[in-house]
Amino acid sequence: MRQLAALLVAAVLAAAVPAQAFEGEKELYEAAKKDKPFTWYTAHYNSETAAAVCNGFEAKYPGVKCNYVRTTAQVAYQRQAQDQKAGLAVASVISSTDTSHHGRMKKDGWLQPYTPKNLSELIDAFKPFNDPDHQFVATAAGLVLLTYNTSAVSEKDAPKKWTDLLDPKWKGKVSIGHPGFSGYVGTWVVQMKKLYGWDYFKKLEANKPRIGRSINDTVTMLNAKESLVAAGPSATTLESKAKGNPLAIVYPEDGAILMVSPSSILKNAPAPNTAKLFIEYLLSKECNEIMLKNHQDPVNKHVKPPAGGKPLAQVKTIRPTYEEIDKGIPEVIEQFRDTFGI
Amino acid sequence: MRWRHLDRSLFLWLLVAGALLLLVVNPIARLLWVSLHSSSGGLTLDNYVTAFSRWRYVQALLNSLILGLSVGVLGTLFGVPMAWAVSRTDMPGKTLVWISVLGTFIVPNYLSAVAWILLAGPNAGWLNRAWRSLTGADAGPFNIYSMPGLVLVVAAASFPYMFVFTRSALDLISSEMEDAATTLGAGVWRTTLRVTLPLTLPAIMGAFIVAFLEAIAIFGAPALIALPGRFQVMTTMLWQFFEFPPKVEVAAAYAMPLLALTVLLFWLQQRIIARKGYVALTGKGGERRLVRLGGWRWVMLGYCLFVTALSFFLPMLVVLQAAFAKAWGRGFSLDNLTLHNVRFVVIDQPLTRAATVHTFLYGGAAAVLALALALTIAYIVRRRLVPYGRVLSYVAMAPFVIPGIVLAIGFYASYTAPPLVLYGTAWILILAFATRFLPIAYANSDAALRSINPEMEDAVRILGGGRLLALRRVVGPLLKRGLAGAFILVFIPATRELSSAIFLYTAGTQVLAVLLFDKSDEGNFEYLAAIGLILVLGTVALVLAGFRLVGRDFMLRRTAS
Amino acid sequence: MSKLVLTGVSCHFGRVAAVDDLSLAMASGEFVSLLGPSGCGKTTTLRMIAGLLHPTSGTITMDGEVISSPASSLPPEKRNMSMIFQSYAIWPNMTVAENVGFGLEVRRLARAEVRAKVEKILDVVRMRHLSDRYPSELSGGQQQRVALARAIVVQPAVLLLDEPLSNLDANLREEMRYEIRRLHDEFHITTVYVTHDQAEAMVTSDRIAVMNQGRIEQVDEPRALYARPRTRFVAGFIGRTNFLDGEVRGDEVVFDHFTIPRARFPEAGALGPGRVSFSLRPQSIHLHRVQADQRPPAVAPGACVVAGRVVQRAYLGEHWDYAVRPAAGELQLRVTARPHEVFEVNESVWLELDPGQLAHIHDKVAHP
Repeated sequence: MRQLAALLVAAVLAAAVPAQAFEGEKELYEAAKKDKPFTWYTAHYNSETAAAVCNGFEAKYPGVKCNYVRTTAQVAYQRQAQDQKAGLAVASVISSTDTSHHGRMKKDGWLQPYTPKNLSELIDAFKPFNDPDHQFVATAAGLVLLTYNTSAVSEKDAPKKWTDLLDPKWKGKVSIGHPGFSGYVGTWVVQMKKLYGWDYFKKLEANKPRIGRSINDTVTMLNAKESLVAAGPSATTLESKAKGNPLAIVYPEDGAILMVSPSSILKNAPAPNTAKLFIEYLLSKECNEIMLKNHQDPVNKHVKPPAGGKPLAQVKTIRPTYEEIDKGIPEVIEQFRDTFGI
Repeated sequence: MRWRHLDRSLFLWLLVAGALLLLVVNPIARLLWVSLHSSSGGLTLDNYVTAFSRWRYVQALLNSLILGLSVGVLGTLFGVPMAWAVSRTDMPGKTLVWISVLGTFIVPNYLSAVAWILLAGPNAGWLNRAWRSLTGADAGPFNIYSMPGLVLVVAAASFPYMFVFTRSALDLISSEMEDAATTLGAGVWRTTLRVTLPLTLPAIMGAFIVAFLEAIAIFGAPALIALPGRFQVMTTMLWQFFEFPPKVEVAAAYAMPLLALTVLLFWLQQRIIARKGYVALTGKGGERRLVRLGGWRWVMLGYCLFVTALSFFLPMLVVLQAAFAKAWGRGFSLDNLTLHNVRFVVIDQPLTRAATVHTFLYGGAAAVLALALALTIAYIVRRRLVPYGRVLSYVAMAPFVIPGIVLAIGFYASYTAPPLVLYGTAWILILAFATRFLPIAYANSDAALRSINPEMEDAVRILGGGRLLALRRVVGPLLKRGLAGAFILVFIPATRELSSAIFLYTAGTQVLAVLLFDKSDEGNFEYLAAIGLILVLGTVALVLAGFRLVGRDFMLRRTAS
Repeated sequence: MSKLVLTGVSCHFGRVAAVDDLSLAMASGEFVSLLGPSGCGKTTTLRMIAGLLHPTSGTITMDGEVISSPASSLPPEKRNMSMIFQSYAIWPNMTVAENVGFGLEVRRLARAEVRAKVEKILDVVRMRHLSDRYPSELSGGQQQRVALARAIVVQPAVLLLDEPLSNLDANLREEMRYEIRRLHDEFHITTVYVTHDQAEAMVTSDRIAVMNQGRIEQVDEPRALYARPRTRFVAGFIGRTNFLDGEVRGDEVVFDHFTIPRARFPEAGALGPGRVSFSLRPQSIHLHRVQADQRPPAVAPGACVVAGRVVQRAYLGEHWDYAVRPAAGELQLRVTARPHEVFEVNESVWLELDPGQLAHIHDKVAHP
């Protein structure tokens, strides 16, 4: 009996202890407090989520400030490139949705390696996407799938696979992003080209799609009923739906594009200790719970997936290889420009 | 040369002249140099070849020209009748019209573009929705994502220039001209068309050219409208050249024709305005009697209100609605009202707070710098303090012909590499803004100085005070009012400047214009509208303060009596 | 030693010489006017003296020290001069007292001393009661006096005035003429006065320099200038006059249909052979009625008599203006007669001319 009680007490105590601290957290925290201001260039999620993540970081580690700049992937990379060229150290952590960016940055020697203690928290399926040399680690995931406006499109009529977007009944009513800006869109275009060849886009052009910049633009277009169907992001769409907008997602039969987006610490980071702490945080339970609240797919294995969506493990996903992305995105940007004219 | 005879202030004038040359000439010289060199350093024309080898690139150039011409024409149609109605007829409601013109001036073109997207987006825009519900049609007729849509937005944003220029000219024509016609039997319309308007033709043509120049140099509205509309103009193309890896050399080469075009047109405009053969429209106007329009007054008022509805009332209405809406698409219902957007932007978002501070700080610093420099240069030129002083006045006005985005590229090329690295600091923005708006500051300073009799300063000097004392004790105090007006005329555009800020900002130096633009790629129009609202309200507050300080007419630059 | 000396001073604007090889010496305490029509270079000369313009050749010396030369010039603030401008140049952002005290402040006088001097000078110009007013509240004449006070209170070495009265109405002008002269006499400041109004110059000046097209034609005391003008321009510019052009032939000077013996002229020797010109003031001709016996009237010793005919007349209240044709020639002489000397048009008259009053003039300025 006393053993049981002891076990119970231990269990209660264990439950009362705050989220599992990782080894060395306290020292890192102290060091971070003395660091210069911390800036995070990110193309992950959207502004609101990025703000929430940052605020959560500050709440968890009082005394440490978190500044973020949320842009599309190409813009983030461009910013970093400009900074590097001018010899400026602005950002400490960079998170692009275009994995090839991180590969290039690694090759150019802009990054520093770090093996997060919280690596064990990462969903196993994502671990292959990490850099073997530990210069980038997956911290965000999402899906590009089919989305539509429920007030104008019935479930029956909604597209079920990617090729359904080519149906003339959606002429002038399709919304996509632009690979020249968005890493998500770039990856999607590469994948579509892989599946169906560039013909897919020639046919899509005939449907006169509304082309924005970010993949999140599709959500706006659907909300405004400017477009009725889209190739959109799961997280932002679900978030908008939770706000009361008439949106829905469809897991394409030919596969949703799995986006695993990494984060890296920059070699010339003005706040290296905060950066390390931040990476740990991105993999932590608290951060992923915040992401969840914002309808993002968590990467922490202990956090349940968002409502309205299925856990990633249960979805048919497809994904171009790293090399395909690396070579493919610049290529498709040019092709896209030629086909769509901008 | 006896030491005692040397006027020591000469060193100051030379220093300031040197600063001016550095500020204005350096970026453009760098740009030219960069356009002629490859990234590895060799002299080459390859950049020009690349810049114009693809049809897409050339097409963007043509689109810019089309845009410019169309905006000029539409702006004239908007502005000239309105100017005539306000200046010379008994149309009622002139104050309302004038206020809405002022309001148009204050709303930045990219915010107006956002508003028009909400109004005339092909499927969801308010106007299309209204049309569909009124006529039962399938689709609305308006598509903002098109060249006509862009022309409308830009013309609506720039017609105030046409209005102000034409009105100033009309104000100076005495009624005697028209009386001469009417006593010979001509009616109101014939008099207007054959006598009044032709006299203002130089002013109208000058304004047309200004509108054209504005339209081809504008960046914000095309970036928001042309891209989804699937066409490019030169400024968006330049932006594209900066995508990674940035092809600065090609961008520089591509920018050259734009620069050449603006220089040519500006020269043309100066020639037109300087032509004799029209009655001198400077100095005192004669007595002005208002033309009586009878029932047509209401038609004119209707037209004026129609134009200002397009340029100000409708856009501001949708901006207000979106700023306070949970989801703008849900419309004007009470349950769609929220303060969340404004609160998020003002309170929750540290980025917006910082951006707001930066916006007004940099704008103020730029205005002070531009004004100080402009006033000194105007003084040097007017009092002939250095040899070849006239050259300085041309240099001071030169940035007028340099589109903002081209200037930014020039600044980028000059100040992101040693010896002088300003990239990443607030200074590169402040200097770029100051350079961009130097011409406005200069024109105003020059006009203000002209109103001061040089004998005032001679009197100080003969009594024992040096030039600098004369500036401090006499010229400065006398110019206070004129300079306050000039300060505001620079401050306002500086706080909304987008095209030059877009390349030069970094995380720590964001301004509201860039924030708004960056956020537009997430399509979160509610936040956009909230940010835009803050910008507009801030500017309105400043303009009102300006009115208090300086008087109602400070926007219509006139020489002080 | 002269206070202020200009030697061969020229000022060119491009090719145009606004001032051409001008020389002038002024004694300390002297009041000299530069008189001439617009564009004659008088203001340019004044501004060069002030140091606001530089000469392109020649020098200006004050108290023996060169202050202006083409090579270098002492700046105006170091010359210890004062100037009154045509526009008065009273600073609108300062009160009368502040305006007047400015020069003293620049000279770093103590505040109490400044105040005392300002009050005193304002008393002199009778503006003390307006010392706290702003210029926009003052009339033209009052502004003028503020300018005077401001200029004089610093006790300058030289006082320069640039057409100070041209913006005032006629009555005020008269009053201010005397005022300026009075102030000069009280403070003994060397004064250079620029004007186009010969009455002003005559009333105020010790000497007048008559200028034309950048050159000085004659510098003299007012009376000498009037009675003995040396060039055609000076004769015509100062007051009204008659020009008599004639020719010296042997012992006679032959005019248009009448002659005057050469010996009668005071400078008979200087009248070289050939053409000569004279200036004769209208007041110097007297008209006599033709008596029934047609005999010439009795005239002053040395005077000549010529028969003539009244061609035109005008009555101006204070005097008659007659145009008279002497002898049978084309020449017309203007004659000023007293109000009671009434003659009819076409009436025959005798003209009494005094050769002593005939001033020998040259067409061009001979030498400075």
